[in-house]
Amino acid sequence: MATPSAYAAPAGLRSGPSAAKIAVWWFLASEIMVFGGLLASFVVFRLGGGRWYDASEHLGVTLAAVNTLILLTSSLTIVQAFAAAERGDEPGVRRGLALTVLGGVAFLGVKAVEYSIEVSHGFVPSAGIFWSFYYTMTGLHALHVLGGVVVNAVLLAAPRARTARRVEMAGLYWHFVDVVWIFLFPLLYLS
Amino acid sequence: MGTHRHPNYVAVWGWLVALMAAGLAASVLPGGRHVAVAVIFATAAVKALLVALNFMHLRFEPRLIHAMVLVPLLFAAVLALALLPDFAMRR
Repeated sequence: MATPSAYAAPAGLRSGPSAAKIAVWWFLASEIMVFGGLLASFVVFRLGGGRWYDASEHLGVTLAAVNTLILLTSSLTIVQAFAAAERGDEPGVRRGLALTVLGGVAFLGVKAVEYSIEVSHGFVPSAGIFWSFYYTMTGLHALHVLGGVVVNAVLLAAPRARTARRVEMAGLYWHFVDVVWIFLFPLLYLS
Repeated sequence: MGTHRHPNYVAVWGWLVALMAAGLAASVLPGGRHVAVAVIFATAAVKALLVALNFMHLRFEPRLIHAMVLVPLLFAAVLALALLPDFAMRR
């Protein structure tokens, strides 16, 4: 613990959200624009684009629904890891993070199976505008899942780093990735 | 810190799964397509809200954090609305 210095801010100025939390939300704000731009252009193209979206009927809804369930559940497990970290329950943190990493890896595995089925049917990114959007949006999202898996795995592997605050920050990002999928799933698969 | 109330995370997860099932059901059940699309996206919006408010703890956060979420959402909406006439009203 650092000794209090003469330069420390008055107590009244130190209240409010931590710098870490503001930084993560600031990052998420930029991510909202990244995915927001993609989603907006998809919706606009689709509303104006006749019936090209019939292509979406070739997507496998079952696998995607399984993936939705996996991601929703992994959001629960990481928030449980955070709650465990807050009450100092080390095994609980480890279990929550491990399940979350497992969920992320399972999601990517299912996504890889989906891609291979689609490509084997000739639905490659250049097969039409729907497929260009599909691979761009799900691919960018999958990269975000991969990033989250790495962050969560690092926390899992480094016991001393598993502070409640760090688990909370990793969770914020992971939930955001979940929220993006909550919109990608109906946009691409259900409508 | 450390003493604030936690939402019932498992109950929130239960709602998320139920809403996912409702969206899936709307997409396969017979009925008007417009109704199905409305149900699908309404359930998606509620799911996103449940995650943001409870898992991301937005309902415990101060206005500064809320502003950091709402401003880019507003910009994304403006972007969509600005693009819309270009495509939707062509032809």
